[in-house]
Amino acid sequence: MLQAYWYITKMKLLTNLTYRFEVFTSVATNLILTLASVFLWQTAYKGGSGTVESLSLQDITTYTILSITISTIFVCDVQNTIYYKIREGQIVTDFYRPIPLLACYLAEDIGEMFSSLLNRALPLIVFASIFFGIPWPASIQGFLLFLPSCLLSYAILWLLSALVGLIAFWVMELGNMGNVKDSIVRVLSGSIVPLWFFPDTVQTISKFLPFQYTYQTPLGIYIGNTSISDGFTAMAVQAVWVGLLFLVLAAGWSRTKKKTLIQGG
Amino acid sequence: MDAVIEVNDLVKEYIIVKKESGLRGSLKSLLFPKKTKFNGVNGISFSIAPGEIVGYIGPNGAGKSTTIKMLTGILHPTAGSIKVCGISPQADRKAVVRKLGVVFGQRTQLYWDLRLGESFELLRRIYQINQAEYEQNLAILTDVLKLQDFINTPVRQLSLGQRMRGDIAAAMLHSPSVLFLDEPTIGLDADAKLAIRNFIKEINRTRGVTVILTTHDLDDVEQLCSRIIVVNNGKIVEDGPIESIIHKLTPHRMLVVELQKPCADLSTPNAIVIKQEGLKIWYQFEKEAISASELIAALSQKLPIQDISVKEPNVEDAIREVYKTTSSV
Amino acid sequence: MVSSFKHYVSVASCWARLAIQRQLEYPLFLFSWLLMIPIQYFSGIWMLKIIVDRFQALNGWDFPQLTFLYGLGLISHGIFVVFFINTWSMDHMVINGGFDRLLLRPMNVFFQLVASYVNFIGLIDCIPGVIIFLYGCEIAGFEWSLVNIGKLILVLIGGILIRAALFTSLGTIAFWTKRNGSMVGFALTMLERATMYPLSMYPFFLQALFTFIIPIGFISFYPAAEFLGTDNGGLELPLSFALWTPLVGIICFLIASGIFRFGMKNYESAGS
Repeated sequence: MLQAYWYITKMKLLTNLTYRFEVFTSVATNLILTLASVFLWQTAYKGGSGTVESLSLQDITTYTILSITISTIFVCDVQNTIYYKIREGQIVTDFYRPIPLLACYLAEDIGEMFSSLLNRALPLIVFASIFFGIPWPASIQGFLLFLPSCLLSYAILWLLSALVGLIAFWVMELGNMGNVKDSIVRVLSGSIVPLWFFPDTVQTISKFLPFQYTYQTPLGIYIGNTSISDGFTAMAVQAVWVGLLFLVLAAGWSRTKKKTLIQGG
Repeated sequence: MDAVIEVNDLVKEYIIVKKESGLRGSLKSLLFPKKTKFNGVNGISFSIAPGEIVGYIGPNGAGKSTTIKMLTGILHPTAGSIKVCGISPQADRKAVVRKLGVVFGQRTQLYWDLRLGESFELLRRIYQINQAEYEQNLAILTDVLKLQDFINTPVRQLSLGQRMRGDIAAAMLHSPSVLFLDEPTIGLDADAKLAIRNFIKEINRTRGVTVILTTHDLDDVEQLCSRIIVVNNGKIVEDGPIESIIHKLTPHRMLVVELQKPCADLSTPNAIVIKQEGLKIWYQFEKEAISASELIAALSQKLPIQDISVKEPNVEDAIREVYKTTSSV
Repeated sequence: MVSSFKHYVSVASCWARLAIQRQLEYPLFLFSWLLMIPIQYFSGIWMLKIIVDRFQALNGWDFPQLTFLYGLGLISHGIFVVFFINTWSMDHMVINGGFDRLLLRPMNVFFQLVASYVNFIGLIDCIPGVIIFLYGCEIAGFEWSLVNIGKLILVLIGGILIRAALFTSLGTIAFWTKRNGSMVGFALTMLERATMYPLSMYPFFLQALFTFIIPIGFISFYPAAEFLGTDNGGLELPLSFALWTPLVGIICFLIASGIFRFGMKNYESAGS
């Protein structure tokens, strides 16, 4: 069983490596994004005091580089996969496959994640380090906490994507709502501007939404703006969100599956 | 009369990047792609007279499509010269394509979401067809291709056969003098095939349109083409009337005889027994050595014959023979 | 000449009509765009406000001026997307044979490429663009004089030509590689960062690059600085930039059409 998933993962990795040209330009795109964002922060900090909201320029530079890097690794193609499969009517035949569909999609995304780690994240970190110095973590403990927190972040993002993909089962004609979700995540996750800078009311509301636990939580731990003990608390909240979203997805998925199989697609 | 299409020593070179298998191979070709040159079309010459229907055939990858694309000005040849209606498509593309109609069987030029007629209206403007000529052409095309049932249907709702008829009509609206058809009957049912073949014959007869047809369906070739050009590995391997190519490649004919009762001595001059099944005997003979009637006469004097039939070799056998002998690379 | 002009206008208008009809076949499809585009751009300007509020004006560009710049960049993007979106998908056209078909018709290929699809959906990009720009004009104190309006139109046309030139050149790469979707993403990112944020944030090298080599600074940054009379805080260039933008646009466009023609000579159509 596990072999089948590993095969899917490996095939995805292989096909990705063959798109040489895509790889180069995607590294360049992310590099431009990183450069532009860091220069924006440098301008903002210029001449002013050393820290704003207890963040130094070095902190925010590290934050920005890491944020863009992990965004290249957090592959959530599941929303597009589901959308296209439904649009092409392929989802019905897929349901008859012997292995669970969502697990297949996850295996695919993880395969892409590995290839992105190699040919997107790694070059980006290297180039960014050349320009702005190596983005060291604030402490070893912070780094060790950052890794599992990233896994939880990915789980939240992936589950959100799968849920958005499900929307297509019910309202096909609306087009791909994944793009809408992505643009909301980009702002409210703190991936571009950390939420610490946002007005207080927005920060308060955001505490009760899943988004800030996808980027700001692991990155805050990494740069030491979130203390280790606060980090554990934040990760507990992440875990709660993972559980919650998983339950919603499982319920939604079984209902759509029933609906699809009854209608015969 | 002057040739409509004149091709001399046409060459098209491609550079292919070799991909290696496996993880290591992928990484390797990521950094150091291996490139090799290869001639998709390798020194082709022919000329086509006005009003001919020519079958341009060959196995997949033989260079058929590449040649068509150079003739129609889509691709630039690496070497050699092309003249279509006396003009080089590479020198004056716009002038040449005005005289061409092109149908790619696997790709439509019609707008998927719009009524068939809308695509025609666009083409009327693109080719600047004057209203009277447009209406007359459309009337003829509608009549011959039976478009009236679906001219107001969105293209996405058409059957493959209807869509193909629509595509052919679209290619003929501006009264081209040369029509290129690339796999026009692919995937069609017998009725649709027949309709399209009849149409090709019709426009060839009434308007003298020169037709170049590439196809894998040898029935098309047999029924339509007075001449075939066979390509393989980028070279022309045969060019001439169908009968002479068949004759040249498969000079043997077959006589099948069914006897009333078994006989011991079956031999006869100028023919050999190649197969025997119970009372049925297959004789192979050459057209030059003996005629069928002579052979039948000779055999009927000697053997108690119940039934007799002559088997002509067909174009399929001939083409298979060509591919076999020229695919040695 | 006149008849040829008439010919092109007649074909272009027919194509525009067909494009509207095609897009209206799936009206609900717009819904996700209608949500996404405004979210994306309004949040973009909101984040600039957050940064300026917490920190300081960016190299002398305060929030009203940033809004003006952001809006100007976004409007030219929106109009570009309406008229030139086919330059983004040239790789698709190469692969599915659409490009072959353009070559089989007796009209200019680039004209066909662009005119065959007028993307009315792109007007959605113009909505936040116009709103942000008008708001920026209001708070930055832009003077709506006839001269300024004339200059603004020239700047928009020039900016659109620069964008079209850039994407045409990039699309031409698809003639060789058959695939360049990621190049488009790259250029879009670059354009957004260089036209909707002050160019003077960037190091000298990048400012020079975006002024002289890939002159996207002329799309919105230099004109905005000129209109608002701000010391742009970056490279000092002589003369009035509002009049430079159309000139730069025309030059870029001519170069791009040369690249496109060179690409067509080397075009290798895909498939069998």
